[in-house]
Amino acid sequence: MPQLSELTAAVAAGKRTDTVRLTQELLAAGSAPQDIVEKGLVPGMAIVGEQFKKNEIFVPEMLVAARAMKEALKLLEPLLASAGIKPKYTAIIGTVQGDLHDIGKNLISMMWRGANFAVIDLGTNVSADKYLAAAKEHNANLVGLSALLTTTMPAMKDTVRILKAAGLSTKIMVGGAPITQAFADEIGADGYAADAGTAVDIAKKLVGQAA
Amino acid sequence: MTSREKVRRALRHEAGPVPVDFGSTGLTSFHVSCVAALREHYGLPRHPVKVCEPFQMLGEVEDDLANALGSDCIAANGRSTMFGFPNEGWHEWRTPWNQLVLVPAGFRTRQSAAGDVYLFPEGDTSVPASGHMPAGGYFFDAIVRQPPFTEEQLDPADNCEEFKLLSAADVEHWEREFARVRGDKRAIVSGVGGMGFGDIALVPAAFLKHPKGIRDVGEWYISLVERRDYIHHIFDYQCEIALRNLATYAALAGDTIDVLVVCGTDFGTQNSQFCSPATFDELFAPYYRRVNDWVHKHTAWKTFKHSCGAVRPLIDRFIDVGFDILNPVQCSAKDMDPVRLKADFGRRIVFWGGGVDTQQTLPFGTPEQVRAQVTERLKAFSPGGGFVFNTIHNVQARTPVANIVAMVDAVRDFNGAAV
Repeated sequence: MPQLSELTAAVAAGKRTDTVRLTQELLAAGSAPQDIVEKGLVPGMAIVGEQFKKNEIFVPEMLVAARAMKEALKLLEPLLASAGIKPKYTAIIGTVQGDLHDIGKNLISMMWRGANFAVIDLGTNVSADKYLAAAKEHNANLVGLSALLTTTMPAMKDTVRILKAAGLSTKIMVGGAPITQAFADEIGADGYAADAGTAVDIAKKLVGQAA
Repeated sequence: MTSREKVRRALRHEAGPVPVDFGSTGLTSFHVSCVAALREHYGLPRHPVKVCEPFQMLGEVEDDLANALGSDCIAANGRSTMFGFPNEGWHEWRTPWNQLVLVPAGFRTRQSAAGDVYLFPEGDTSVPASGHMPAGGYFFDAIVRQPPFTEEQLDPADNCEEFKLLSAADVEHWEREFARVRGDKRAIVSGVGGMGFGDIALVPAAFLKHPKGIRDVGEWYISLVERRDYIHHIFDYQCEIALRNLATYAALAGDTIDVLVVCGTDFGTQNSQFCSPATFDELFAPYYRRVNDWVHKHTAWKTFKHSCGAVRPLIDRFIDVGFDILNPVQCSAKDMDPVRLKADFGRRIVFWGGGVDTQQTLPFGTPEQVRAQVTERLKAFSPGGGFVFNTIHNVQARTPVANIVAMVDAVRDFNGAAV
């Protein structure tokens, strides 16, 4: 039976075939799907996040690792669902209205999944109403808003205002190239992250506060 | 001293008045709404502004506006647009923000009930749209049309459809275009195209009706790790075509142009890079070197490399592969402090940009803040030449005209004070 640490190393290195094979072998040997996720995949993606923060790896390597994780989750998620096991936290994510850019948003989505959040990705060009409806429907702990354009920063501001006015306990995180901590503070967001690695740390901190 | 002499002096890293570029490339210009606002501000004749670049919806900076702004550069433009239709046959079009503009004949749109606008490759509305301006947006993004594929089916030739030798129509266009600009007192900036190795804006191929190969943005980045042979095949073919086109183009251009825009591939994100230095060395450097070596061997032109973002760790490599000019010098990105950039690289590469931050200060600051930042950047970058003033990338829609004017005035005052 392979060790969970082997799976961690495989996903961190983005080895898709090895990640899938090790997941299958661990399942066949009787490992619990939840353990495979929490003790195999999640630590692997945590390594990816740390390496990304330190500029030891870059967007392509992160995408390759996330794809390996996704393939393993395809095997694990049906088993987790049938056992009634859900991730502890749920996050909604999307790029704000008027903005179609999604590389950054997709990276955060993958990293949150890799930190064992349930992630509902609303895609791009998402209206405030859509964020609000999804946050209510899924009882989300966290809503992530992304924007690349200076022209869509006002849409981010409006979305935060509408979500806050709805009185939900959901925490709101913002990010994207032109976004700064100062802008996040100005519009009343609960958190800001400058990169996909940091976004996991901040998200954990925020949902910890919300719990 | 003519504008052209000012620019040439700066490109030779000689001290002098700071030359300015407003509008000579699709990377150093203004959104069409800003062009109209500037024309109004300077009291220039009112007419619908031409959308000279429909992807980013850039407006044409005509000579009267260029003079009002004090621009020292002029473009010799290519024939075709990002959507594969030529920049000709102008007609009026009302934008979603209610501006009457001029667009080329191939600019044929469809609008959804929600107000989203779609554009089509080569203006052919019978094929799927390749450009999308969301309701409330100000420019188009490429629609990714990724055909399903398996690893075994992948053929690099599918990603090479867009690399073609210049056609007879292209040659005729360049003859006319060089005749138009030849003898102008300004520096002439141009580009033959086809040298954007892995430019992510070009990967989805908004100009092709039925793109094949790898056209998805994420899949392309994955290919830089997992399919390096595939990428080398594409770049090698692309480079061969580019060098043959350069020879044709150079024979037509001669010494008419001063600057060749080579490539807009972005290597920087806000806080990091899109690839490691080792990946740059292996995948990109050989092709950039071939292009730059050819240009420097056969012409007196300076080569222009655009890359947004935090590219400090790659600037030595840009210099090493032969680039003369770096744009847009995104000082708002990590480790891109102007004083340090000038000290570390300023004798070896020309900074074309960096003049003012278009993410924060120019769109959201006050005119006083704009003036202060422009003056600070001029002081940092201008000593000893090696600097052409420009905003950091194109001026975005909704930027207050008072801020743009504050920038223009600050440059003029700095140059006036320096004389």
